[in-house]
Amino acid sequence: MNDLCVEIGYNIINHVGEELCGDHVESVGQGEDSSVLVLADGLGSGVKANILSILTSRIISTMIAEGLPLEECVKAIAATLPICSVRKVAYSTFTIIRLINNEMAEIICYDNPPVILIRNGVPTDLPGRDMIVGGDKKVHKSELRLQEGDILVAVSDGCPHAGIGVAYNFGWQLKDIADFIATASVAGYNAKTLSTMLVEECDRLYGGKPGDDATACVVRVRRRAPVNILFGPPRNRDDDARMMTLFFSKGGKRIICGGTTASIASQYLGSPITTELHYQSSGLPPIAHMEGVDLVTEGIITISRVIEYAKDVLDQNERHEEWGYGHDGACLISRMLFEEATDVNFFVGRAVNPAHQDPNLPISFNIKMKLVEELSELLRKMGKRIKVMYF
Amino acid sequence: MKVTVCIGSSCHVRGSRQVVEQLQDLIRDYNLNDEVELCGSFCMGQCQLGVCVKVDDEFCSVTPEGTRAFFEEKVLKPLNKQ
Repeated sequence: MNDLCVEIGYNIINHVGEELCGDHVESVGQGEDSSVLVLADGLGSGVKANILSILTSRIISTMIAEGLPLEECVKAIAATLPICSVRKVAYSTFTIIRLINNEMAEIICYDNPPVILIRNGVPTDLPGRDMIVGGDKKVHKSELRLQEGDILVAVSDGCPHAGIGVAYNFGWQLKDIADFIATASVAGYNAKTLSTMLVEECDRLYGGKPGDDATACVVRVRRRAPVNILFGPPRNRDDDARMMTLFFSKGGKRIICGGTTASIASQYLGSPITTELHYQSSGLPPIAHMEGVDLVTEGIITISRVIEYAKDVLDQNERHEEWGYGHDGACLISRMLFEEATDVNFFVGRAVNPAHQDPNLPISFNIKMKLVEELSELLRKMGKRIKVMYF
Repeated sequence: MKVTVCIGSSCHVRGSRQVVEQLQDLIRDYNLNDEVELCGSFCMGQCQLGVCVKVDDEFCSVTPEGTRAFFEEKVLKPLNKQ
């Protein structure tokens, strides 16, 4: 057991004019500390490629997650994929990244561009060897002991082909892709954001009309970073001290959401709350400051906005510009939760705010409980470890 | 004189932003920056009344439309600025 963890993010752009994508990514967890990531690129584009890539990635990820060795899975794939009637070949190329106990990575690459390793902020050679599997399939296998800050990037060939004949004579060279990611990684972007930046750059090089499906998968190794959120006063006010003691005894950053909650904390710590009066263009209530707490915000309205951002992160990641650089409470929380945190501990108070019982207001107690459930589920999907405690 | 506007959830949805911005403008227009301190606060426990504004120690409820009237009554009058 070490205190590292891996963060996985990917994004895809489709071949111009195609609704279905010929690239497919599957990521399956094996317990808390291991997972398998498969990027498959089906031959051609459109429906045939789509089916081939989904079949390939699903079969491989399921088999590996069930404990079969990689070689067996590759053999099975080679033997089962249907043959294309036009091209007389059966395949989908693939990259498998298997992450074991947050310590080791096992990488197998079959006809996809080689996996890029960024270590200590610079592109680094990933040692490996070729091997023959299933009689005639040549795959490239690498093994790597993970270090903090390592970034692995797997791309489909749509990425290095970006810009052929438009921006570059020979497309976007892998070496240049590696430099691009290395430069961006220094800013501390998370895996999802890095993958989005990469495919957006491909789209730009393709002149907005991608000539192939382009996918980027990013695996980022980092040290665990807990963030604690206090949300709402306890149902029984006698529990104030118990809730505060638990909250302030945890390591990591601290966020307090909600006015009443903040004043309880302020009494507990003996440090005053200073509220800002400066409204950001987003129209959310202003934030406040308190010594001993990293961020103090309003509760329900702010958290609802964080949930909107979280949904988008898991979808197209189109609003990254908004939360990635904004200064209102929701943006600040989003950055702490989505980018910094690996573990999120919720301390949720179940008190009912009498002011929120007004039927004319769009907020209620049930909404508050739902918000916590929804947000913790979304964060879990981002690969974070979540703990929720109710008071 | 200290004027504190609640910016908690409940007052926020009732329009505390408009109240704050109008008060900021009014204080500037009447050149009262030295005499009136405008600040924000999270919930002051008077939510049922509408946007809660505290003038020194007196609680008032203010609507965005009634901000000017409130300002004249509770700020200008006591300061003898009318």
